[in-house]
Amino acid sequence: MNDRFNARKLIVLAGIWVLLLLVPYWMPPLGGYTALGTRVLVLGLAAMSVNFLLGFTGVLSFGHAAYFGLGAYGAGLSLKFLAPSSSLALLLGMLLGGLAGALLGTLIVRRRGVYFAMVTIAFGQVFYYIAFQWSSLTGGDDGLRGFSRQPLDFGLFSIDILSNTDNFYYFVLFCFAIMAAVMGFILRSPFGRTMLAIRENERRARFLGIPVERHIWIAFTLSCFFMGFAGALYALLNNFADPKGLHFTQSGDFVMMAVMGGMRSFWGPLLGAAVFVVLQDYLSSVTVNWMSFVGILFVAVVLFFPRGLLGVIRQKSEA
Amino acid sequence: MTKEILSTEFNRRTVLKTAVAAGAVQIASPFVISARAADAIKIGMVDPLTGVYAAVAQNEVIGARFAVEEINAKGGVLGRPLELLVEDSANDVGTGVQKTRKLIERDQVSFIIGDVNSGIAQAMAQVTAEKKILHVVSGGHTDGITGKDCKWNVFRVCNTTRTEANSVSDILFNKYGKKWHFITPDYAFGHTLQQAGEANLKKLGGTMTGNELTPLGTTDFSAYLIKARAANPDVLLVLPQGSDMVNCLKQIAQFGIDKQIHVAGLQQELESLEAMPPEARVGIWMFEWYWKQPGVPHVEKFVADIRKRSNGKVPTARTWFGFTSVQTYAHVANQEKTLDAVKLAKALGNFQLPDDVKLQPNKCYYRAGDHQLMTSAFVGEALTKPAGDPEDLFRVDQVIAGDKVNPPESDTGCSLQWPA
Repeated sequence: MNDRFNARKLIVLAGIWVLLLLVPYWMPPLGGYTALGTRVLVLGLAAMSVNFLLGFTGVLSFGHAAYFGLGAYGAGLSLKFLAPSSSLALLLGMLLGGLAGALLGTLIVRRRGVYFAMVTIAFGQVFYYIAFQWSSLTGGDDGLRGFSRQPLDFGLFSIDILSNTDNFYYFVLFCFAIMAAVMGFILRSPFGRTMLAIRENERRARFLGIPVERHIWIAFTLSCFFMGFAGALYALLNNFADPKGLHFTQSGDFVMMAVMGGMRSFWGPLLGAAVFVVLQDYLSSVTVNWMSFVGILFVAVVLFFPRGLLGVIRQKSEA
Repeated sequence: MTKEILSTEFNRRTVLKTAVAAGAVQIASPFVISARAADAIKIGMVDPLTGVYAAVAQNEVIGARFAVEEINAKGGVLGRPLELLVEDSANDVGTGVQKTRKLIERDQVSFIIGDVNSGIAQAMAQVTAEKKILHVVSGGHTDGITGKDCKWNVFRVCNTTRTEANSVSDILFNKYGKKWHFITPDYAFGHTLQQAGEANLKKLGGTMTGNELTPLGTTDFSAYLIKARAANPDVLLVLPQGSDMVNCLKQIAQFGIDKQIHVAGLQQELESLEAMPPEARVGIWMFEWYWKQPGVPHVEKFVADIRKRSNGKVPTARTWFGFTSVQTYAHVANQEKTLDAVKLAKALGNFQLPDDVKLQPNKCYYRAGDHQLMTSAFVGEALTKPAGDPEDLFRVDQVIAGDKVNPPESDTGCSLQWPA
């Protein structure tokens, strides 16, 4: 029985990766375009980072866009002022988002529930207003521009990810795969199990001698590192970073993607992001009231499928 | 083990489900928009149809749609009809860039219009320049678009912030007085406006009695207004935008400041005046285009045509921007008999708009050096009580030619880099 379960899991996993690998081939004939797939991956990674905290540690952060935006600004500033290297930009973006998360995390982790969410919003908005006001560095309201992603230089050969959208998609997919693997690895480790224990029953975990605050802090920090990385990819995708990416409404979008896709499952947020992005892209060409439809879908999912879209698919296939 | 999987995976139900799913895909065809007229020339428009700029963006779309209709009735472009594809940028840079890529990569448009939001317009310009597509910015006012960030393929219909400041300054100074007080929103856009206004004031020989920096989202302006009144200036310049501006003007009217000091601002839009309570409609402003121009050819017909298409609403400056953006492309392509972006961009330098497009008394042309349209500034006063027509909320005192109020080309900081 267990074997069968594992084999099925492997098949699903292989299916997901084949689907992701072949995006540039099946997306255009369906009326999509490769850049849309890239956007799904980047926002999916961001939603998975939120879910790392929400779905697996059980604390809701409503200010994660701050670390997403910091990652974007980190990448942009590094490309603009430091060195024309895409990989350095990704690294610095991730570090900026992650370190900010690590610092603020020490202040945030003592709160729980709605207070945790409120404090994360407050800190997030601080970064929004910094980016908005400090125009000499960040470009203020107009956003940070004047940089573009650079070809990947391997010494012997270089890959053009600027003008070739397929190459850029595979680059993002490669980055996404690494991050997803690291995330999966952490969740399978004893540390990941401890996170689940905290999610299920914090008091019991505390009685077992688990330093709950420290664990939540580590989870928060890790999630901010993932978020910073996603933000840096987003800056490379748009060749632009703007203050709206730090705003709490953006955090709301990420939470929405995670919840819609299924916040207890690893791949749920990716599905949520795909639905969100594709729906937005398609519906907003048809009607200006597209937000109502996305909203209705979200309400329907929360009311009728509390385990998210992926949860429903799972349940169906297991039944 | 493998056998077991196969037997569970491929039972009758699975086959049925697959068949139903496959059938559904055929009917629903998620986002396939195929079977368009193959010979149409596609042009794309990206504008924030949702969000704070929705009202102005939707007027730009009305204008653009009308232009397409008119052009197609006259035989199209190079004998082919135009087809306008409109996308919502949702006032978000990422979405705007995405939609621009979608229009260029998937829909293969040969011309792009947009966006109202300057930040999005600049991000879009990076994409259109990379893809070598002709691009007209219809509504983003930041100086940089035709200044230090100018691009060979990017043209702009609306004015720069500096032009707006220039066009009001002279009149204010000569007519209303030489002591000015500023109320400035505290972020980059506000600072630019205020500096432009102050520089003009210094040049004319006036004095600034003070500058109140108000944070974005201020609702209570009383402290700033009391301070401004105490400084006893001749003119009070109100620079905040959107709901901040409405709140500020309402409080000015409540305090009766508009009775003691001349209230003025830089750019004002009919959409904003219509959304304001009557008592807030005060002050001297600059319009970028106004629908009531007695004696100017073709304007009345344009107003009547637009009213038929927008439930009786008059065209605003935004309607004219959308209209002019599309007309520019059609006229220059028909003149050059090509769709090649580089050739068209070259031809648009010093390109003059015909009378039935420019809809204003003065000469109207794209400057070759920075690709900025030299369009007239309509300076006048907002009306608390509409004059006759309920949508006549502005009295135009002076129409100033664009090349008189725009800074000289050498001053814009623009140097165009043409592709090799």
